[in-house]
Amino acid sequence: MINRRNVLKLGATTAIGVPLLKTKKARAHQVEYEAGRDYAYLSGTERDPVATTCALCPSRCAAIAYKENDYVVKIEGNPASKRTMGKLCAKGQAGVNQIYDPDRILTPLKRKGKRGEGKWEKISWDTALEEITDRLKKMRDQGEPEKFMFHHGWISASADRLINKVFLPAYGTGTVASNSCLGQSARLTAHELTWGGYEDSWDFENTRYVLNFGSNVMEAHTNHVALSRRLSIAQVDRNVKMVTFDVRLSNTGSKSDVWIQIQPGTDCAVVLAMCHVIMSEELYRGAGEEFLAFCQVTPDPNASTAEKVRALKDHLASFTPEWAEGISGVPAKQIREITVEFANTRPACVISSRGVSAQHNGVQAERAIQMLAAITGNIDNPGGRCLGVLPEWHYPTGPEEKPAVRKLDILNGFEGESVLAAHDIGHQVFNMIKEGSAGRPEVYMWYNYNPVFSNGNSQRNIDILKDESLIPFTVAVTPFYDESAALADLILPDAMYLECFDFEDGISPDQIAEYAIRQPVVPPSGEARDFKDVCCELAERMEFPLGFDSAEAFVEQTCNLTPVTKKVGGFNAMTTLGVRSDQEAKPTFYSYKKLINEEQLNKEGIIFDEASGVFWNWQQAGVQSEQDAIKQGYRHSPDAHKGYVAQKIGDKVYSGFKPARTNKSGYFEIYSSTLIEKGLPALPVYTSIPEHKELKDNELILTTFRVNVQTLSRTQNCKWLDEIDVENDHGWINPKTAKALDLSDGDWVKLKTDLGEIKTHIIVTHNVVPGVIAISSHGGRWEYGRYASGKKAPYGIELQAPYDSLMWWENEKAHPNWVIDNVSEPISGQQRWMDTVVTVSKA
Amino acid sequence: MKEQDKTPDDRRGFVMALGGAIATAFAAIGSIILPGSAAASLLDDEDENDSEKVGVKVQYGMVIDVRRCIGCHACTVACKSEFDVPPGVNRSWVEYTEKGQYPNVGRSFLPRLCNHCSEPLCVDVCPTNATYRREQDGIIAVDHGVCIACKYCMHACPYDARFLDPVNEWVDKCDFCIHRVSKGLAPSCVNTCVGGARIFGNLADPDSAVSMLIASNRVSVLRSEMGTFPNVYYIDADFTDEVDRRRPEVREVRVITHRRHKERT
Repeated sequence: MINRRNVLKLGATTAIGVPLLKTKKARAHQVEYEAGRDYAYLSGTERDPVATTCALCPSRCAAIAYKENDYVVKIEGNPASKRTMGKLCAKGQAGVNQIYDPDRILTPLKRKGKRGEGKWEKISWDTALEEITDRLKKMRDQGEPEKFMFHHGWISASADRLINKVFLPAYGTGTVASNSCLGQSARLTAHELTWGGYEDSWDFENTRYVLNFGSNVMEAHTNHVALSRRLSIAQVDRNVKMVTFDVRLSNTGSKSDVWIQIQPGTDCAVVLAMCHVIMSEELYRGAGEEFLAFCQVTPDPNASTAEKVRALKDHLASFTPEWAEGISGVPAKQIREITVEFANTRPACVISSRGVSAQHNGVQAERAIQMLAAITGNIDNPGGRCLGVLPEWHYPTGPEEKPAVRKLDILNGFEGESVLAAHDIGHQVFNMIKEGSAGRPEVYMWYNYNPVFSNGNSQRNIDILKDESLIPFTVAVTPFYDESAALADLILPDAMYLECFDFEDGISPDQIAEYAIRQPVVPPSGEARDFKDVCCELAERMEFPLGFDSAEAFVEQTCNLTPVTKKVGGFNAMTTLGVRSDQEAKPTFYSYKKLINEEQLNKEGIIFDEASGVFWNWQQAGVQSEQDAIKQGYRHSPDAHKGYVAQKIGDKVYSGFKPARTNKSGYFEIYSSTLIEKGLPALPVYTSIPEHKELKDNELILTTFRVNVQTLSRTQNCKWLDEIDVENDHGWINPKTAKALDLSDGDWVKLKTDLGEIKTHIIVTHNVVPGVIAISSHGGRWEYGRYASGKKAPYGIELQAPYDSLMWWENEKAHPNWVIDNVSEPISGQQRWMDTVVTVSKA
Repeated sequence: MKEQDKTPDDRRGFVMALGGAIATAFAAIGSIILPGSAAASLLDDEDENDSEKVGVKVQYGMVIDVRRCIGCHACTVACKSEFDVPPGVNRSWVEYTEKGQYPNVGRSFLPRLCNHCSEPLCVDVCPTNATYRREQDGIIAVDHGVCIACKYCMHACPYDARFLDPVNEWVDKCDFCIHRVSKGLAPSCVNTCVGGARIFGNLADPDSAVSMLIASNRVSVLRSEMGTFPNVYYIDADFTDEVDRRRPEVREVRVITHRRHKERT
């Protein structure tokens, strides 16, 4: 192996922990400690470091894992990472607990007896893969590869490429779903409708004001460490003011200058009222007005800025702060004050997350937030809400000849369930399988995913997954025995992330792409195997070899193909440092302003579309002929966005905001050309949540949240986290609500919906708005090993004394998904986590 | 003890502790001055002249800038993994304080660890001298081989920073990561602090980052009335405990310790 230690030392000296002091003298004395080294506390011998990347949440932070006698003992942040500034959160450090979890699955297991009965036998990999190959090959040979359904959760960038982009297409199935409907799809859809296919990134390094709608960035964001560290620095060293709207006082709310209590699902109304104030008080003047040139606000792509201002004023006229107060409970005076303060402090960063989007009006609320940032000129500017910058990996694409991909029509929910469904609606897959009209998979395999636990309506998930007449064969790919694996016919023991090769693509908060890889710190435990390696072998067995025989080869080739990583020395250099970025790269801001010249437009196939002002390439969009393309126009040619080239604005042509999944123009579309064609209002509006209109006295709104030491379903087998998390075992209820329902602190209550009921004890707290019960979404495990559920997994190891008796906490948490139904946000299909109505009574 | 004098909100504690402080002043001064440059390598200061200083004083200490703490528990877990601390006990942990009545509420964070006191009560009571103050750097350490697990020190500590290790059956606590600090690394909790709230260094050096933070901010120490002269200083910390619930202006207080012991001490 390469001697990583010395290289780490070279690149790893870093300034730690010392804030900027006010005097020059003080700065000269900033302490420089080395990082990237560690020593055993008893023997003093140096621990052996391996640069790798965390995988416990979507943030994907660069890390260094340390070994003592070939055992992983510690994980910390990689000081070479600009994204994380060398830091790693509690979850990432607790990865040590997972690799040696006594309940880990270490051999392939095949069920004995009935499905879900909990009886297993150990089988060899050869037997397991033979069985899978037989089934998959048969379906493929019969021309029905779509009956192999693959469903995954958060997976690495390389797993996405190797499995989703190479292996599964080479096999021929398109029946592939992700978990994006559980967290992100409403936000992503709103972004796609406005600025195209970019995730948002928040520039806390340059901002002067942070306005937060429903994001818990200090605890649970998908870029948690990178963002919360920068936010903390901004708040203390630059006195950046932060205002948070939330129904619950999260740690983000408590670190804000102001926590504004708001009724669930009403953020959109407040945002519209803020836009109203900005337009009516002429606060858009300056940067906002300038940015409006790049916005579509009316049907006319050539509208003048004055016309756009007029249109916005007209649209927003009735959305007064007084109107919003009536809906949200936020005083009109406060809305006005905050709007003026926010609009006059530039640059300002408007941030938002699941608290706003995982509910009935999620896409509209997120679009309204985009509008608020746009009309104040806080889009893709230093200090604003930016287009996320990611690494661009160039990876081997596998066999040249791939079969035409076939898929079952069970990925996008029921007819009329959502208007766009640009992202799959994974939470309805089981219901669609049960309903059956679009066909059913014969093999349902899941990977890094726990459908039973993570989706709403837990009981129905169990019932359907258990039913052999609905799904004949189920395969779980997981290192741990979770609630879904318990219902599998076959469990393939996946390698844990500290045992794998991967490349990753986390968003860079400094707008410079960072390339990170993951490499094995230790070999896989027991007989566990990296599932990416298994896919290579399955492809071999089915006689369509992928062109690389392992994840290591795939990652190696990718590092050597990708320009940035190639430049720094390819795979070998990446294994020593773990993380690199282009040293000459500058932060990417205002990317939409890039001018496109004549030469770039004078290419074969590129035509101009008058109606939208878009230059597009009809050949790349897959249109039959130029005549068809002209006749149908950009907006009405299917997949025209794939040929998008540039946007004409005035007499110039810009790269604009490139569309991703819909035929939007290259404008920042406040006026959505996509939604108007679906019969929806083109400009953002507020729609109240139908179920909230008439609530009875004993009905509360159930809202879910995540804490800083747990992810939704991955980390509950980490004892170091569980013992911190003990106190999050209750539902939060405001004293006023508790009094009305005759409840007191510590009482056990029943929460009931049509699906059934759960029991939880409550904490009566002033940190939540009245009318709400808030429950963490990661509790109430009934499998996942002893630390998570109190229950050993099959073949779990007995611990020796005294370790066998040191677990002092009990698992009394309630899991809210037993009473939350699989309901979709009507535009995107996002699961609605935040607006379920429950009947509450004393247990 | 100069730093202590400067603490503006700390006069009462200082007066109460004065007697004890004078009594042991000679011993303290004697132990804190090192004759040669042995301590120079331990210093966190980059100043080139340091290695030539003679008679350098080292008193390791920490400043916890609570304004920067985001309550993420990364320090707690870093410590757990650095020392493989068994479940149920902590060398370091983060407490939350929730105060106020709706809608005027707040939550603050209080990272905790051994205060490495200049007047350590634990050292005073230890019958075997297993707990001692290191002459070279002021760290309060435990010699596990000499500890008889009598728990006197656990009762004497006003900060509940000590515990009986359920695996090894000796008393243990934070030692400022001697094994890291002696090799030029920051303590593990400092190294991982996401918010950058924990700052470590030499309090005896007026030019160190910790000393300058203490000099230029309103700092406080925990339970100064005990006269222990902690070497862990806080900026902007809220020490409100549940006793304060009785105050009419405070009304609602809830302390969450995030460890097995649920009361703040």
